[in-house]
Amino acid sequence: MVVEQMAGNLIQGLVLGAVYGMATMGLSLIFGVLKVVNVGHGAFIMVGAFIALLLFNTLGINPVLAVPLAFLFGLGLGLLFYYSVMQRLIKAPELATLLATFSLGLLLQEVVKLLFGSEYRGYNWAVGKIDLGITVLPMSKLYACAGSALIAVLLYLWFNKTRAGSAMRSVVEDSEGARVCGVNVGAAYALSFSLGIGLTVASGVLLTMFIPVGINPYMGGHYTLKAFVIAVLGGLASPYGAFFGGLVFGLLENGSYTLFALIPGVEPFALTRFFSFLMLLIILLIRPTGLLSEKRT
Amino acid sequence: MNRVTQYYPILPVLLAYAILFIVGQTVSGTWQLVATLLFYCAMGQAFNIFLGMTGYVDFGYVAFMGMGTYGMALAITRLAHLPGLGAVVIVIGFGLALLMATLLSLAVGAVALRLRGAYFAIATIGVNEGFRFLIEGARIWNGAEGMIFTAQLVNIVGSERASRLMTYWADVMVLAIAVLAAAVTLFYMRNRVGYALTALREDEDAAKVMGINVTKYKIIAFITSACFAGLVGAASWALKTPYVFPPEVFEIHYTVEAIIIVMLGGAGTLLGPIVGGLIYGISKYYLSIFLPGLQLLVFAPIIIVIIVMFPEGVVGVLKNRTRNTALGRFII
Repeated sequence: MVVEQMAGNLIQGLVLGAVYGMATMGLSLIFGVLKVVNVGHGAFIMVGAFIALLLFNTLGINPVLAVPLAFLFGLGLGLLFYYSVMQRLIKAPELATLLATFSLGLLLQEVVKLLFGSEYRGYNWAVGKIDLGITVLPMSKLYACAGSALIAVLLYLWFNKTRAGSAMRSVVEDSEGARVCGVNVGAAYALSFSLGIGLTVASGVLLTMFIPVGINPYMGGHYTLKAFVIAVLGGLASPYGAFFGGLVFGLLENGSYTLFALIPGVEPFALTRFFSFLMLLIILLIRPTGLLSEKRT
Repeated sequence: MNRVTQYYPILPVLLAYAILFIVGQTVSGTWQLVATLLFYCAMGQAFNIFLGMTGYVDFGYVAFMGMGTYGMALAITRLAHLPGLGAVVIVIGFGLALLMATLLSLAVGAVALRLRGAYFAIATIGVNEGFRFLIEGARIWNGAEGMIFTAQLVNIVGSERASRLMTYWADVMVLAIAVLAAAVTLFYMRNRVGYALTALREDEDAAKVMGINVTKYKIIAFITSACFAGLVGAASWALKTPYVFPPEVFEIHYTVEAIIIVMLGGAGTLLGPIVGGLIYGISKYYLSIFLPGLQLLVFAPIIIVIIVMFPEGVVGVLKNRTRNTALGRFII
């Protein structure tokens, strides 16, 4: 019984984990290139979720199509925020960028709250389900999982096979060296910031498949925390590390939930949340560079 | 500077708090607003000791206020049935608030203070949520239901004194905590702790090379800040409104307000949290009348502008303007 339940939950965890991973790639990309932690990360996920909700409910556009639209919207938002705020803070102390990204997230939350109110909403994209015997997987979740993997592969190809991608990688390695070699570091910063925001907003669309009634201007906070755990698991500066970190996190989250549910007299859901925070502290304590990160030579 | 004149900057602080107190007591109908302002100033003063002096942001700061609230709540609920203790329970409550805030700051600090800059922020951002979910998940201290202890408070001090405590003395205690926090801030600034923290804020590696034990001074600032946060929670939350619910006392919103107050006033200045607290508190009060629920929509862009254009805040600008003038001696 328990074993079957565990297996079923782990499958669910793996499917959700792929989306978690994709939702963290933007955070890692921005940290890798700009050395800026986007503390407002969750708010950008929330924007994506609202885009999916509005497109579905008002125009009947299905979420598959909403992903590229959200990505483009995020790209624009990223460019706007980069040139209006972040660019001026690249040389500023870390405190400034932390507070700035935090405030940008706050601003997004408040704007969305003003426009759409703060009640919980959701939508239902019913496209059938698959019964695996031990667990039932809605097709919408599988599409989200496949979409996440596809985006991760595309990002990998873009990074490794294009000129702009290699320029970006050179900035990650050594921004001064890249500048000397003729890379336009300013443009690389702008591009990676907006790309990171674009990916994050797009991931918000995919996450809505997992939260049928959980869309709200303040939903982002939990995802910021989860994204930090995942990013740190994957080494913080590596988008692919983040993707695999997401898979690991999805498994750990659902696995620990199943175990906590066996303990009488506790709230397994809340304990799972606590567990993910504890995991963050433990990883930071034993290996701040990430459990999955490759050794740099 | 001799020993006395270097402590002159405490005078404008005392003056500001005295004026606030007198206005609240003499102008009828203003005490509620004054109490709120005192809360913001005290919270800012406590937060500033860490953020302002070290340049590190603790996004989980509200957890220390939550711990203080629980400390007071536990003292009142667990000791109310003992006869003859009376108001001593309140003193024990403050002691417990200090102890619990210190313990949490030691636990968090042990991990987070070994980390630099961005990693520190990442480690702290989940502290309040993590703790809230531990209390709710493991059903510690009544779990998600929280505790309501008005009856026990009445039991301890009598109903008349209890209502006086909630509407007046709790606010006076917040005032005392704010003044004490300012005094400690100034004391640190004028001693080894402050010099070490300034060096570390400007360049941590250089400070280390110079032989400064940066971790030690970070821990001192972190624990001091946490202790004052705990006291603010105990006085302003547990005594003023005798109940505690985990989602409320671990709400990240208060960390946001503390950041706004400190950045607005000027991080690392003595007067900053007061100026920031007054500006934020008064504008929030009027915004809640004219634009209810929109104060953060107004303050989020303001804080972004401050970070980009005036990172030193109102008092920081004022300090630069008055440098080498008679007034400058009082403003830091």
